[in-house]
Amino acid sequence: MRPLRGKPDPASAAPDAPAATEASLLARAQAGDIGAFEQLSARYADRLFMLLLRLLGDRAEAEDVAQEVMLRAWQGITRFQSRSSYFTWLYRIAVNEANRALGKRARRPADVSIGADELQLPAPPAADPARQAENAELRRALGRALAELPPPLRTAIVLRDVEGLSTQESAEIAGVSQAAFKSRLHQARLRVRAAVGDEALVTSGG
Amino acid sequence: MPGFLADHRWSQQHLSHYVEGDLAPRARHRLDRHARDCVDCERGVRAMRTLVYAVHGGLAGISAPATIFDRVRAAGPGGSGG
Repeated sequence: MRPLRGKPDPASAAPDAPAATEASLLARAQAGDIGAFEQLSARYADRLFMLLLRLLGDRAEAEDVAQEVMLRAWQGITRFQSRSSYFTWLYRIAVNEANRALGKRARRPADVSIGADELQLPAPPAADPARQAENAELRRALGRALAELPPPLRTAIVLRDVEGLSTQESAEIAGVSQAAFKSRLHQARLRVRAAVGDEALVTSGG
Repeated sequence: MPGFLADHRWSQQHLSHYVEGDLAPRARHRLDRHARDCVDCERGVRAMRTLVYAVHGGLAGISAPATIFDRVRAAGPGGSGG
């Protein structure tokens, strides 16, 4: 049985692979070279999977959608024209596929369960155990609040605040204008703030 | 007082814009001036900054699943496979 890996198979990579630029990998991928496609896309695979985990909140579903994203990217690679970066293009496919999965899930209300644990948020360093506990509680509360957002608002806050992408990149990935994206972002933040509460944010956040 | 309440309601709706740097200088000054006299809005600014800071990053050490290219490999060079 062929070993399955998230990273590209070194055996399928060209000898000059380590020095391969994104442009050369893209050209080879567009010519039908699966190895080049895997090598190119694997550069973003971990981040892409984290994005899906945050948008979907379910590891099994994120794994399934991640496979679908890569398949869609492979099937559409010849149509990619470098008007945006490959990363932005791939992320946009991921957001579309995540929305599609969430749409299916919305028709099955009983299955809606985005776990705060799956939307794990960072643990800032804190020497004080009491402060650490407060931070952990804050992260859980933020995770719950993010999970309860409607998908377009969750996508906005995940792209801009969690992923730290620029507004321009985030809007492009979300497929909306920058003005529309900012409107979603501000709404999302206000809802999360209301759900978590200023007291928890100010106390735990320091 | 009506001016204070109007500024308060407006400020509460624009805390994210403020933190994001999306307010024009005059609007920013309006919120700054109001927050100096309003405990809730001053705290709201700090809360919003904490929110944006606290959600950033995370999931370090999470890797893409080993199966991520399975469907691509199954599809093959033609892309439609099956």
